Amino acid sequence: MISNLLYKELRLAAHPNLYIFTLLGVLVIVPAYPYGMVFLFGCLAPFITFMYGRETNDIYYTSLLPVRKRDTVIAKFLLVILAQMTQLIISLPFAFLRVHVLPEGNPAGIEANVAYYGFGFMIYAIFNVIFLTVFFKTAYKVGKAFLLAVIPAALAVTVMEVIVHFPQFQWLDSVEPEMMLQQLPILILGILVYIIGMFAAYKVSANRFERVDL
Amino acid sequence: MNVLAVEGLTKRYPNFVLENITFSIPKGRIMGLIGKNGAGKSTTLKAMLNLVRPDEGSIQMFGKDFKENEENCKQNIGVVLGGIDFYNHKKIAQITDSTKRFYKNWDEAAYQKYLQTFSLDPQKKVKELSTGMKVKYMIALALSHHAKFLILDEPTSGLDPVSRDDLLGLFRQLVRDGERSILFSTHITSDLEKCADDITYIKGGKLLRSAEKNAFIESFQHLKEPGETGELTLEEIMIRTERSHYDI
Repeated sequence: MISNLLYKELRLAAHPNLYIFTLLGVLVIVPAYPYGMVFLFGCLAPFITFMYGRETNDIYYTSLLPVRKRDTVIAKFLLVILAQMTQLIISLPFAFLRVHVLPEGNPAGIEANVAYYGFGFMIYAIFNVIFLTVFFKTAYKVGKAFLLAVIPAALAVTVMEVIVHFPQFQWLDSVEPEMMLQQLPILILGILVYIIGMFAAYKVSANRFERVDL
Repeated sequence: MNVLAVEGLTKRYPNFVLENITFSIPKGRIMGLIGKNGAGKSTTLKAMLNLVRPDEGSIQMFGKDFKENEENCKQNIGVVLGGIDFYNHKKIAQITDSTKRFYKNWDEAAYQKYLQTFSLDPQKKVKELSTGMKVKYMIALALSHHAKFLILDEPTSGLDPVSRDDLLGLFRQLVRDGERSILFSTHITSDLEKCADDITYIKGGKLLRSAEKNAFIESFQHLKEPGETGELTLEEIMIRTERSHYDI
């Protein structure tokens, strides 16, 4: 059932833009660029797809399929998680590559290192928790949900990009192996925040959507 | 056996209340749900299907509680919501490909047959279909997973008289073997004359009457004015029941 829902999301609900923005994980190979933008693309993509879903009456259609009402929520969560995780996976080989082809580092902001990915999970989590729970209150107010979610997510990106310019946080900007080992707790914390955030957001969203009158 | 039993269905909105709707549909029959625009027909259908959350009431479908057996019940029904187009820019083939995976009883041979019967081109996009063809596509999907019960919200509105007659004829054919049942809402009384076995009439969110067609017509004959001899038609019944008097 889950794979059917995901198949339906990818073939009918997803706007082509979702695929393009997901590919933007490759941006970590750009010599000087605020890589936090990658995560913001990962937030923008679900927003555009949700707008498209409203235009195509996707939520209605899904609700009429032989699934429970809350499975419509599961479908959307799966799509968002799949897009964001794919984006990170796509970026990984380029993050490795840049260390070799661009050894002088990224002057614009944080390096694509372990801490960067840890912050990425947290930024996604901030966005998803707000965006999805606010959206499923009505299942149509996509703009409001996006605005409320993207502001804190963009602030988090800004903090991440700015903080590495301060001397005491320079260890967060390193791609040296021992420094990256030091950054590992941030990655672990990020993954935990993402997992817990998504579970909590699903519970709230599903309960809210059950009460929505389509 | 009833395919559907709605009991005390109530939904309260700030400016509208659908109140205590009770009716049932026996197997193999067509029920028309009538009422003027805004009477609560769509709300009734949506509340039945849990698209709208009812405040009170129970829905038994195929003898089971709908909310408890939502997935199972939906495997055996086909729903056509009027005026809502899905995935306008997608091809029929693409929508079918995603939809059929959800149905245990999907019958590809039957689907191909219905596409031919209804002259539906799978390479056409939804937006390229006429209103009538869209309804037929949804019916083709429903029949291809052997739906036993079709629920259609205003399937005939926006159709020309020929397509309407065609669709109503199809409805009669579908229930001929006694295995399928249909519930459809309409505000066009001639649809009921041509097609319905039973009629449920909703006015201002309240159930006025639900009965077999002849008994239904019979029960409204008190609306006849002095001097009228012939039997009131459904249209006359509806107009006389709903007539507004403007004090201007």
